[in-house]
Amino acid sequence: MTGLIGSRVPRPQDHRLLRGRGRYVADVPAPGALHAAVVRSPVPHGRITGFDAADSGACALGPQEIAEHTRPLPTAWRLPGQQPDQVPLTAGTVRYTGQPIGLVVAAGRAEAEDAAEQVRLRIDRLPAVFDADAALAPGAPLLHPDNGTNRAGEAHFGDPRAEVEAAIADAAHVVERQLAVQRICPSPLETRGLLAEWDPAVERLTAHISTQSPHVVRQELAAALRLRIDQIRVVAPDVGGSFGSKVGLQAEEVLVCLAAVLLGRPVRWIEDRAEQLLAGYHGRGQRARARLALDADGRFRALHADIRSDLGAFAAQAGSGPAQVSGLTLEGPYRFERAGAVVTGVHTNTAPTAAYRGYGMQESSWIRERLIDEAARELGADPLQLRLRNLVDGPRHRTRTSLVLDGADHAGALRRAAELAGAHRAADEPGVRRGVGVTAASEVTAFAPSALLESFGIDWSGWEGATLRINPDGTVTAHSGVTSVGQGVETGLAQLVAEHLGVPMPWVSVQLGDTATTPHSDLTSQASRSLALAGTALARAADRMRERMRRLAARHLEAAPDAVVLDAEAGSYRAGTGEISWVEVARRGWKGWRRDSAEHVRLEEHVDFDPPAPTFACSAHAAAVAVDLATGQVRVEGYWAVHDSGRLVNPMLAEGQVVGGVAQGLGIALLEEVAYDPDSGRPRAATSPADYQLPTARDVPPVVVEHRCTPSEVIPGGYRGVGEGGILPPPATVAAAVAAAVPEIAAELTATPLTPMRIWAAWDAAQRR
Amino acid sequence: MSTHEITTAVNGRSRSAQVQARTSLADLLRAEFGLTGTHVSCEQGHCGACTVLLDGLPVRSCLVLAVQVDGAEVETVENLPDGGLQAAMREEHGLQCGFCTPGLLMSLAHAEREQLPADEVLTEVLPAHLCRCTGYGGIRAAVERHWNGREQR
Amino acid sequence: MKPVAFAHAAPREVPAALQLLSEVDAVALAGGQSLVPQLNLRKVRPRAVVDLNRLTELDHLDIGESAVRIGAMTRMRALERDPGLRRALPVLPQAIGRIADRVVRTRGTIGGSLCHADPAGELPVLAVALGARLHLRSVRGSRVEPAATFFYSAHVTSRARDELLTEVEFPLRQGFRWRFAERSRRAHSGPPLVSACLGVATDGAAITGARLAGGGIRERPMRLPRAEERLRGTRLGTAAADVLDAAERDAEPPAECAYRRALLRALLAEVLSEPFERWA
Repeated sequence: MTGLIGSRVPRPQDHRLLRGRGRYVADVPAPGALHAAVVRSPVPHGRITGFDAADSGACALGPQEIAEHTRPLPTAWRLPGQQPDQVPLTAGTVRYTGQPIGLVVAAGRAEAEDAAEQVRLRIDRLPAVFDADAALAPGAPLLHPDNGTNRAGEAHFGDPRAEVEAAIADAAHVVERQLAVQRICPSPLETRGLLAEWDPAVERLTAHISTQSPHVVRQELAAALRLRIDQIRVVAPDVGGSFGSKVGLQAEEVLVCLAAVLLGRPVRWIEDRAEQLLAGYHGRGQRARARLALDADGRFRALHADIRSDLGAFAAQAGSGPAQVSGLTLEGPYRFERAGAVVTGVHTNTAPTAAYRGYGMQESSWIRERLIDEAARELGADPLQLRLRNLVDGPRHRTRTSLVLDGADHAGALRRAAELAGAHRAADEPGVRRGVGVTAASEVTAFAPSALLESFGIDWSGWEGATLRINPDGTVTAHSGVTSVGQGVETGLAQLVAEHLGVPMPWVSVQLGDTATTPHSDLTSQASRSLALAGTALARAADRMRERMRRLAARHLEAAPDAVVLDAEAGSYRAGTGEISWVEVARRGWKGWRRDSAEHVRLEEHVDFDPPAPTFACSAHAAAVAVDLATGQVRVEGYWAVHDSGRLVNPMLAEGQVVGGVAQGLGIALLEEVAYDPDSGRPRAATSPADYQLPTARDVPPVVVEHRCTPSEVIPGGYRGVGEGGILPPPATVAAAVAAAVPEIAAELTATPLTPMRIWAAWDAAQRR
Repeated sequence: MSTHEITTAVNGRSRSAQVQARTSLADLLRAEFGLTGTHVSCEQGHCGACTVLLDGLPVRSCLVLAVQVDGAEVETVENLPDGGLQAAMREEHGLQCGFCTPGLLMSLAHAEREQLPADEVLTEVLPAHLCRCTGYGGIRAAVERHWNGREQR
Repeated sequence: MKPVAFAHAAPREVPAALQLLSEVDAVALAGGQSLVPQLNLRKVRPRAVVDLNRLTELDHLDIGESAVRIGAMTRMRALERDPGLRRALPVLPQAIGRIADRVVRTRGTIGGSLCHADPAGELPVLAVALGARLHLRSVRGSRVEPAATFFYSAHVTSRARDELLTEVEFPLRQGFRWRFAERSRRAHSGPPLVSACLGVATDGAAITGARLAGGGIRERPMRLPRAEERLRGTRLGTAAADVLDAAERDAEPPAECAYRRALLRALLAEVLSEPFERWA
C-alpha cells in the first residue's frame, strides 16, 4: 500500500479506547486476586528496630522475609566509582520518607490499607538532609556512612577542565550563573501498578504491569527473586502514560511479585496518587554553576558547567543517567572551541530521581539558553542574531563531547520560529509587560548503538529487533520490543509495515508489550528511538517478506517472479491469466509447499537493527508572554514550535508528541515542583496532591507546530526521533520571553518554576534597588 | 462499619450490589459492575478521569459514595453512542494514552446535551479535566470539529 | 487511598440528623467535594458519616425584600444559574461561578463550602463582606451566628461538632453594589490564594459606605476597616493609592513580628532547659 508513510492516519486502537474498552492493569480480570498496600517509612532517615505485623490481621512481608527471599536490583548506568551500585529492596536503614519497608495483602485495597496501619514499626531516627548542596557541606548527615560522603560519584565530559578554563580566562566576556531545574513528579494519569500471578504447579510467574520496559522488568524480577528468566512472563497491557516513570522496577513491584510467589494467589497493587508524589521516582532535581565565554563580537569561545544532580536516597538503576546526558549535550546546536562539564551525583534523604522525558537535555537546554540570553543582554546584542551566528551548520558537526550532529536544519528552524513569533501582535495594557523569547535545542534520538552504550558502561542493549509473520490465514502480525505508552507507536509501525509489505493497513496487527512474543529490548520506547530503530527493523523484515511471498506466489502460478503483481484491493496475486489469493499463498507457505529454502520455511522474518550512530533532531521554540507586574503572574499568549525530526511517518502523531511535550515543558517552566518540607521530611504535595500543579487547558495555549523534514543519513528511511523534542525548550523559552518583557529581573530568572510569587518578589526587589 | 444493599440504574439497566459505606461510586462501577471504562487517578476530585453522569449531571465518581446512588441513575462511557464526538476525537488525535478520555467524554457529552456553545466548552468544560499526554491540542481541535459540524447540519 | 471503615446513615429529617451528629465521632457529609478527599487521604477518620443529601428541606432558596435565605444543602450549580438570585444579589452567583470547576459545583453545597472554611474561599469572604447570618441547630437547640464571628481559623468555625448549619441568610443592603475578585497561586486556575469582596453605597459620584473583606491574608476572612474608612468620600471608578495603602496596613501581621519570634525562642529555650524534676 503506498502513501501510508507520511500520512495523518488515525489510530486503530482509538475505537476501543473511546468506548471505554481500554485494558489497563487495574482492569485486567483476576478473580480471587488479593490486594496489596505498602508499609512505608514515616521518617526520612532512621534504623528499623522493629516490624511487627501481628495485629494487622493480614499476610505481611517485612524486612526479614524480604531480605531472605530477594536480592538487590542491579543498576544499569552508574557514575564512575558509584557506591552503592545496587538498588536495595529491603531496608535496615530507611533513607527517605515513603521508602517501602514491607507489604500487606488483604481481600481489598481498603482492607489492606487498614492492615498496613496496624503494623507496628520501631525506627530510631537519624538526622536528615534534603538539599544537595547541604548534603555536600561539612558535617552533613551521611546517608551511606561507608562512603564517608554524600557524593555518589563524578563524571567528566568534553575537553579537559584546564583547557576550558584557559579559554574562559582568555575570553573578552564571561557570563556566569547559578542555574537550577526543580524536582518533578512525572505524573502520568495512570499511576504504577501490577497484577502478579504465580502458578506453583509449573513454577511460572506472570506479571501484568504498567510498564514501558517489559524485558527489563523480566530480567530485574529474575535477578531479584532468584528465578530463571524463562520462568517469568511480563505483559504490558494498555499503559496510561509513562514519560520515563515506568522504565524499571521499584521495590514495591518486586514485593508484590514476591507475595504472589509465597502465597500462590494472584496479588494486585495499584499505586495511588499520594504514593506517586511521595515515593515514586521523581525527575530532574539539578543545579549547576555554569559559564559561557564569548569574544567581543559575540562568537562563542567556551562553555562549562559544574552540575550537581540530586540522586535522592540512592541512585536508581539509571539514576545518574539524566545528569550525565546533561553533561554530554550541554553545547546543544552551537559551536564552541572548548566545552565541558563535571557532573556530581549527590545523595539526599529524598525519593530517588530517575528518567523523565527530556532526560538531561531539557536541563542542559535551560543552562545553555539562559546563559546565551544573558550574554546577549549584557553585550547589548540581539539574542536571535547571537544564536544564529554561533549555530552549527552543515551536514556534520562534532561536539566537544564527541557527539556528531547530522544535518538537522538548525538555522532554518530558528529563523522560522522567530518569523512566526514576529507576526504576533498583542495589545498594550497598563501594568502588564509583554515579551517574546526564542531558543534552539538539539535532541539526541535513536539512542544508541550497542557499542556506544558499552563504551559508556551502560548495561542496556541499543539494537532493536523485529518479528514479522504472515499467519496461515493471511493476517499479518508484527512484533517489536518497543512499547506503547500512549504515543501511538503501533500505528506508525503498522503504517511502515503495510507500506513496505504492500498490503492494506487493516491487514496488519502490531502487537507489543508481551515478553512471550516480542524481541528483547532494554531501551524500548525511551530516548526517542521507537520508530527510527524498531521501524527500520520492521521495514526490512517487511521488504524481505514481500519478496518471499511474491516468489512463492510465482512458483504456485508457475510464472517468473517479475511477472507477478499483488492486487492488494482484491487480495490476490496475478500473473497473466493466473491468479492466487494472498491467503492461499500464506496457507500453503506454512505447509512448506514450493518453499525457497529448506532452512527457512516459516513465513516469519526476524530482523535486528543496531544503528551505526545516534541521529539528531532539532527544534526552535518561541513564546509570547504577558507578565502582570502587580501579581507576578505569567500568561503564555502564543507558542510556536518548529521541529526538524527528519522524515515523519505520521505527522499527526508527531504533532501530538510535540504539543504534549510543550505542555509538560510549560509545567516545568511555571507550575510544577516537588518541594521537600524539612520539618515533615516529605514533599508538601504528598499530603495534599491537588497542590502539585499539573497544566490544565488554561495553562497551555494553542501551540503552532511546524516541521522541517531533513532526512537522517544515519537511519534508513530518514527518520529522526521526536518523542522528547517538545519538552526541551519551553522552560528556557518562557524565561527568555519573561526576561524580554521585564529585563529588570532577567538576571534572577535562574530557576524554575517561575511562579507568580518568585516573579513578583524579583520585581519588588528590583523596584527597591 | 456498615454494609448496604443498593439498587441503581446503570446505563439504563437496574443493578444491585452489597457495598461497604466507604466504597466509592467509581469502585462500585469498576469492581462490582465490571464497567472498567471509568478510571481512577487522583481520588481527590481534581483530575476528572472518573467523571460519570449522575441523574444526568457530571460528577466525580471518586467523591461520591456508592451508597449515595441508591435509587439514582448513573451513566458511564460505555453507554455513549458511537457518534461524531468519538469520530472527531479520533480524527484530530484527541487522545494518546486514553486514560483521561472516558471522563472527558462524559463531560463533553453532557455539554453537547446542554447545547453549550463551543467556546464555553473550551473555556469552562475542558479545564476541569487533566490530560498529561496531549497538551490539549487534539482535544480542542476535536471539540471545534464536532461542534462546528453539528452547527452546519 | 481508601477511607477508614465507617458507618453511614442518610436521614430524611433534620431532627434525626441532629441526633446522629450528637453521637461520638460522627461527621456531616454535604456535597463531599471537600470531605471525601480528606476521607480518602485518611486525614478524617470518622466512626460514622451522617449523609445530609436526603434532607430536602435544607435545599431551598428564598428571595425576600430584605434578605436572601438559602438552605445549606442547596447546590452551587443551582445558585449559579438561578435568575432570581442573579437579580437580587448578583455577586453571589458570580463568586460561586469561580469555585473550583463545574463538575465540583454539581455536587458542592453552599453550606459545605462555608463549613469547610477555606481561609481564602469565595463563600467565606462573601459571607463576611455581606454580613451573612448562619443558622445552626443541634439537639441542644438553635442559634444564629454572624459571619464575622463564625470563622475562627483555617478550616475551623464556631460550629460545634454536633451542630448542623441549616441555612445562611444574606441581608440585602439597600444602595449597596458589590464586586468580587480572587487570585490563585498559578496564573489561571486552582484554589484562591487571596480573595476580596467589596460592597459600596454611593450618592452617585462618591462612596458613602463601604464593606470590604479579604480572604487568604489571615487564617480566616477579615474585614479591612482602615480601607473602608478611606473609601468613604472617594470618587467612584478610582483606585486611590491611599485606599490601597490602608488595605495593606489592615493586612499587616501583628506589630513587632520579628521581636515576638525572638521572644518565643527565648521562652522555649527557658522552658526546655528547666530540669525535668521541676516540671509540674
